[in-house]
Amino acid sequence: MKSFTSRKAPYLFIAPAIILLTLFSLLPILVALFISFTDMDLAGLADYSNLSFIGFKNYIEVLADPVFLKAIFNTLFYVIVGVPLVIVTSLGVALLINLGVSKVFKVFRVVYYLPSVTNVVAVAVVWTYLYNPAFGLFNYILESMNLSAIPWLTEPTVAKVSLILMALWRAVGLNMIIFIAALQGIPRSYYEAAQLDGANTWQQVTKITVPMLRFAIFFVSITTMIGWLQFFEEPFIMTKGGPLDGTMSAALFIYKNGFQLSNFGYAAAGSFILFIAVIAVTLVQYRMQSKESDY
Amino acid sequence: MKLKMRKTTATVLASTLLVMGILSGCGAKSADTGNSNDKVTTISVWGMGEEAKSIPKIAELFEAENPNIKVEVQALPWDTAHDKLLTAVASKKGPDVVQMGTTWIPEFANAKALKDLTPYLDKYPGLKQENFYPGSVETGTYEDAYVGVPWYIDTRVLYYRTDLLKEVGYDQAPKTWEEMQDVSKKLADRGQGKYGFSLDVKEQSLAFMLARQNGSKLFDAEGKPLFNQPEFVGAVKYMNSYFENGSAPMDLGIDAIQGFRGEGVAPMFISGPWMVQLIQDQAPELEGKWATAVLPAGKENNFSSLGGANMSVFEYTKNEEASLKFVEFMAKPETQLKWMELTNSLPSSKEAWENPILQEDANYKVFGEQLETAIPMPSTKEFEEIAQSFLSSFEKVYRTKGADIQKEMDDFNKKAESIINK
Repeated sequence: MKSFTSRKAPYLFIAPAIILLTLFSLLPILVALFISFTDMDLAGLADYSNLSFIGFKNYIEVLADPVFLKAIFNTLFYVIVGVPLVIVTSLGVALLINLGVSKVFKVFRVVYYLPSVTNVVAVAVVWTYLYNPAFGLFNYILESMNLSAIPWLTEPTVAKVSLILMALWRAVGLNMIIFIAALQGIPRSYYEAAQLDGANTWQQVTKITVPMLRFAIFFVSITTMIGWLQFFEEPFIMTKGGPLDGTMSAALFIYKNGFQLSNFGYAAAGSFILFIAVIAVTLVQYRMQSKESDY
Repeated sequence: MKLKMRKTTATVLASTLLVMGILSGCGAKSADTGNSNDKVTTISVWGMGEEAKSIPKIAELFEAENPNIKVEVQALPWDTAHDKLLTAVASKKGPDVVQMGTTWIPEFANAKALKDLTPYLDKYPGLKQENFYPGSVETGTYEDAYVGVPWYIDTRVLYYRTDLLKEVGYDQAPKTWEEMQDVSKKLADRGQGKYGFSLDVKEQSLAFMLARQNGSKLFDAEGKPLFNQPEFVGAVKYMNSYFENGSAPMDLGIDAIQGFRGEGVAPMFISGPWMVQLIQDQAPELEGKWATAVLPAGKENNFSSLGGANMSVFEYTKNEEASLKFVEFMAKPETQLKWMELTNSLPSSKEAWENPILQEDANYKVFGEQLETAIPMPSTKEFEEIAQSFLSSFEKVYRTKGADIQKEMDDFNKKAESIINK
């Protein structure tokens, strides 16, 4: 009994997580892999005898599909513009809130956090109103300042930026909380030592705080990157991927082909390409992380 | 037509904020049927869109007639209904009876998710095809299987503001494509931010309907698409002309009724019968200032598209008998007239059209006239995807100044061929 508790206890503790992960993550991934080599559509879904194996045909076709390539390009755009923006903004906000001493800053912590816990669908609908070309608040403000209206959601590139703005506003809160937690874990003695040596606030931030936050920054950049690679709700609700597929993300492309046009095999192939991309990006980041020396 | 009117942002907002729960369709049941041994069967019915919220009222009448059947109605928003149905097909668990937009029939019938009703016609004579308009029977038939009983039908007509058209010299609705272009231009010339005709670029049947008016057959006898032929390309050019000269708004961000009321930002649009009720409800001040008219004629005809919804029995139902009873009840002329009263949907039953209301009301007269020649969209399972693909091709056309329409349509035709040959 004694040996049981000491040896097997850890497995007991992780068993629920492993079982859930297998059922709801690993198994579906394997099923999707299987489906991606078939021509599954609605008829195939209703009756498996209609399925046939077609090898890599889905993959070849999806990689030649101009809409998919556009979706990949858009997704990269989201990642390359969005991820640094999120990290810089949330780190900036966290530092400023942390430096503040008055009660107001405590309130603002909540204010910045609120968008993250608000339902994304509700948020997207409200932002659609804000962006509306006819009666949207943003254009109304611009016009009242005698500036020309901006085609927020009706010009492909501008629409991408509009969606990033909104997603940024949503993402800052959660990452700010992570940064604040990490900031409070930095020993005060480092700062005291630096002050004795005559370092000013800016130097303290760049030479002590940011390096000490390396792990937090790494964590946030990985999660944000994965999140942006799977960017879906915002374009789904606000633009449906338009105008001219300008906001179509890889995840939305998969959804459209899978659930609207019922080309499950084709969509599964697309989702596998996305899956591999996410894994690859994460591994690269891990590599870069482990190369750095520890303090 | 599965796309019953693009949802206004307001309804989207409402449906996001309100949890679309199950509208329980059980009214106050007269408790005693006198026989407590009666086994009560419960059937679940899935309806879609705005009108589904009225199904419980009809279900109550059915329950009164059939005390041992209980009907549970679920109203699904159009934009999530397709997903729910996919799940139902995959899990083989779903509704007993389901409302089917006519454009979805081929896909779900091909997946064998809808019961073929042919064997049951003798037992349930109310379902027989001869009770309904041939066009709507066609929408419920897929490869000789009769899978959808016609329930209500719709067809597109022209809605216009009589007062504003008078101001630009049109005492009646435009009769031809040329007149339509002319009156739209004149209305758009009223000033900045004014347009003539609100051409819905997300409406997937519009182009195919106009192409038919221009003499296109859409597909040849072998089923090959004819989308790069002059008739079809001509229709696309005609649609695009409204954007080129600014008679139709692009990215306006307001819905049809908002554009229709007041000063009339866009005083004309093409839509189905459900808009009658919506205009009366949302813009009552327009009373007497608007009317409907049959569509302006193209080179060949002014045929409209025929859509609507059918009632289908789900293949995997366990309550076959009760489900068929319910479908038969929904197909009865008197039920359909009651339904019309509630939702302004047009009945598919021939007998119902003999009712004086339909013969006298000005709007219904227009719909009746338009229905005489209305043709459903092609019922192949690929058509939905082809139509979606057209919308993105057309988007390239109207968003690009001086787009090469012929080239876009050549590309679209190739794409359509590849969809068909998949």
